[in-house]
Amino acid sequence: MTTKRIRAAVVLGVVAVATVAAATISAQRGGGFRQRFAPQNFAPPVRYDGKFVFVRMSYPYVGRGMPPWSHDYPTGETHFMRILSTITNVWSHVEESSILSFSDPEMFKFPLVYLCEPGYWELTETEVKALRSYLLKGGFMVVDDFPSWAWGQFDFTMSRVFPGLQWIELDETHPIFHTFFEINPFNVIPPYAQLGGKPKFMALFEDNDPTKRMYAIANYQNDISEFWEFSETGWQPVDLTNEAYKIGVNEFVYGLTH
Amino acid sequence: MDQIGYNRLHSVFETLFSFLFKYPRLVFEQGDFVFGATRSMSLAAIVIALAAAYAIWTYRQLVLVRGRDRATLLAIRTALFGLVVFGLLQPMLLLKVAIPQQNFVGVLLDDSRSMQVADVDGGPRSGFVLDRFGRTDSPILTELGKRFTLRVYRFSSSAERLQSTSDLTFAGTGTRLGDAVDRARDELTGLPVAGLVVVSDGADNAGDSIDESLAALRAQAIPVFTVGVGEERLSRDVQVTRVNLPRRVLKGTALVIDVVVTQTGYAGRTVPLVVEDAGRVVSEQEITLPPDGESETVRVRFKASEKGPRVFRFRIPAQAGEEVPQNNQRDLLTEVYDGRQKILYLEGEPRPEAKFVRLATADDENIQVVLLQRTAEATVRVPDKFLRLGVDSGEELINGFPTTREELYEYRAIILGTIEAGAFTPDQQRMLEDFVDVRGGTLLALGGRRSFSEGGWGGTPLSNALPVTLDRGVRPPFDPPLEVVVRPTPAGASHPATQIADTEANNAAKWRDLPPLTILNGLGAVKPGANVLLTGIDERGREQVVLAHQRYGRGKAMVLTPQDTWLWRMHAKMALEDTTHFTFWQRLTRWMVDDVPERVMASTSPDTVERGDPFTINAEVLDKEYKGINDGRITARVTQPSGRVEEIPLDWTVEQDGEYRGRFTPTEDGVHTIAIGGTSRDGGDVGRGTVSIRVAPSEAEYFDAAMRAPLLRRIAEETKGRFLRANETDQLADAISYSGSGITVVEERELWDMPILLIVLLGLMGSEWLYRRAKGLA
Repeated sequence: MTTKRIRAAVVLGVVAVATVAAATISAQRGGGFRQRFAPQNFAPPVRYDGKFVFVRMSYPYVGRGMPPWSHDYPTGETHFMRILSTITNVWSHVEESSILSFSDPEMFKFPLVYLCEPGYWELTETEVKALRSYLLKGGFMVVDDFPSWAWGQFDFTMSRVFPGLQWIELDETHPIFHTFFEINPFNVIPPYAQLGGKPKFMALFEDNDPTKRMYAIANYQNDISEFWEFSETGWQPVDLTNEAYKIGVNEFVYGLTH
Repeated sequence: MDQIGYNRLHSVFETLFSFLFKYPRLVFEQGDFVFGATRSMSLAAIVIALAAAYAIWTYRQLVLVRGRDRATLLAIRTALFGLVVFGLLQPMLLLKVAIPQQNFVGVLLDDSRSMQVADVDGGPRSGFVLDRFGRTDSPILTELGKRFTLRVYRFSSSAERLQSTSDLTFAGTGTRLGDAVDRARDELTGLPVAGLVVVSDGADNAGDSIDESLAALRAQAIPVFTVGVGEERLSRDVQVTRVNLPRRVLKGTALVIDVVVTQTGYAGRTVPLVVEDAGRVVSEQEITLPPDGESETVRVRFKASEKGPRVFRFRIPAQAGEEVPQNNQRDLLTEVYDGRQKILYLEGEPRPEAKFVRLATADDENIQVVLLQRTAEATVRVPDKFLRLGVDSGEELINGFPTTREELYEYRAIILGTIEAGAFTPDQQRMLEDFVDVRGGTLLALGGRRSFSEGGWGGTPLSNALPVTLDRGVRPPFDPPLEVVVRPTPAGASHPATQIADTEANNAAKWRDLPPLTILNGLGAVKPGANVLLTGIDERGREQVVLAHQRYGRGKAMVLTPQDTWLWRMHAKMALEDTTHFTFWQRLTRWMVDDVPERVMASTSPDTVERGDPFTINAEVLDKEYKGINDGRITARVTQPSGRVEEIPLDWTVEQDGEYRGRFTPTEDGVHTIAIGGTSRDGGDVGRGTVSIRVAPSEAEYFDAAMRAPLLRRIAEETKGRFLRANETDQLADAISYSGSGITVVEERELWDMPILLIVLLGLMGSEWLYRRAKGLA
């Protein structure tokens, strides 16, 4: 092989890798794989039968491309549910998941919901009341996949739901990190740099009292589900992916039991 | 017909009877009927009978008289001759008559409070007693005194000789008829006794059977003549007849108490029913009084919010013109105990039901749900993984489900979630059954994919305890699950555990409003002794058991079949402010721990006494495996209202393991608290149990205060005496004289000259004459 050919191969390889990487990142930002995330491909919600269902919350989005709340869908939840149902004995729908809006009363039949990319999240007054009622009654919300810039909009929306509550930063000693696996969540390095600063785990508690019931947890400046989605590709290190799964398992088991 | 009308009619009847038959009815009842004719009189009777036969024969020869006329005239003529023959045979009664002044009669006068009831001709019963039996110159006592030697007693709770009329106070707080006749019989032993006279309203409230006293009287052939004083039914009275208040109740329990109200004279009137806790009104509701003589069960709801022995008063204000206002209220003692009651909730998987049960009961200070939730199942190398919530210490349940009875019996109830039988060792499965049967705890089995037959529980020891039958072998859960609308059964509509609203009407409405739940399990039949409180109607209209329970051994076992009662909280249809799910689980868990025995259980018998009356202290003392501790040094510390403490040693009864008994006689009125404690034979502390008893003057005299004729009649009939009403006391002396008891002589009472015979004779003759004239046969 000549030097030219070697250079060409290297360039091709770099381009190929760059293309895959760009496509992957683009997918996360909503700019690619439109066919894969086309609205008509969203599966209908699972009918309630008592089993646990991964419920992804949707919200109106008028921008181009795939709606941000759908990032990682459906691979992220499918991979995660396979892990959750294998590691724990949560009786669940593994290959099926639901997408519900905050105005859908069916939400109340599923006591744990998942929300991602909350930087674009807005709620109507009816939805504000519905989410408040949902969380106060006993529901639990896991929020994931948002960079530092998204916090302002997210915090504003949640402050409409709970005007008196403040987000409280958790440290690694909180029981949520020891409910199933004994983990230190800060060992997980975010999958990409655009998320902002150091990851934080923020939570809303009843009466702003960390000893009382937690309503929601936000994986701020992090994207745990990114690890889930690409866990079969080798894009992220296995040990980090494992830790990301552990965080998810702990948060979901905690939400189902506390 | 009212009582007064009946008495008048009865009096007229008796007078008429005595006129027509020459003697009172009593003489006929006591005497033996015989014919006293001599040989010559008998011969005359035969001659007349032959003449009669001849006359009849001649009638038969008459050609003019045929058919019905002949039959009628023959019948009249035959009756005429028959009467004459009857008279010639000298019919008579043989009577055993007590010889005057050779026999004793005991007169027992009721001196209890109920004799103050004013229902004898508008005056009190006591007035009647004083008038007829309280004066030595009264016609009755004068007549009795002529024939018998009298011994007069007064009785209420006890009996004693009456020295003077002034001894009659009519203030006795009890009536013990059996004790009274025993006392009189004992005193008259060895003397010729013609009978005992009991003047009473029959309001016996001794609580003991009177059978033994009656048997002794029968054995000595002493008849008892009972004089019933008062009306058999009061004309105007409202009574709180019964209150089903439990003896022990957990602090904070929302009680649903049945109060039975009876009345006469105020049908349809609306009156308040008030419940007071030491003077503080805890419940008040308007009730409509039932028809006369009928009972109405009223459901009263209030909360036992103060701990310690509490005296609850249930009262209806006195109504205008009431004869016995004292029976409008009842005071009842209940022990309101405090403390956290631990319930072990074993859940087989991380499902929401457990989380919401904990949320529902979190605000209940007296309920502690300890959750042992399996989050991962065992593999070949690792055991089941559990999450523990609500534990008291890091050691509690650290190894999962308890492996010893001692550890398991620390809990008062168990909730068994969706977990398969195979997760337990055979001994742990037996422990679950023993928890109910031996320890007396409550076990609630919830529906789920691994519950009941779907979890392989059919044929296990626990399946014996459950109120439904289970198929053997593992069956798959319903897929999709059955959606059911839950409704209370008739039993559930009034059961404390299924009250989810503050009134009966709101409760029924609330059940109709709840969203449907889902069921995964197919159950067998409901066992014969079980009670279904909630039922579910599925989409095809079939009924499914939702909540059922049964007693099993010392405890109770229950099933709650839906997998998702949490929907009663979360469902979009349920308002955020709606606390039905909390109420349901708080009621249910409180019912589960209610009545669950402790290691030391104390009780008294009876549960209310009067000062000076001894009562029995019973204690059951068990070890940590709930087996009886025998030969222990057990004492009862009785704290009296004044604060004075007395220690009473309790003795093992020998009859039953762990059962101890002692007696105490209170000298003070008020609530006495009794603490049981001590050591076992090896010196170990047995624990502690408490009970309270209320010492107060009995109000029993005012309840069911109408004259109890059936009891008085029974006493008379079983002793061959006679029951007399107040207006029949003029027959008393004769009744005793002719009873045949004591020293007697036989007397003959001729009957041939009874006016009735002459009247009938003349009547027959007149009839014949009139008949002949009417038919032209004269």
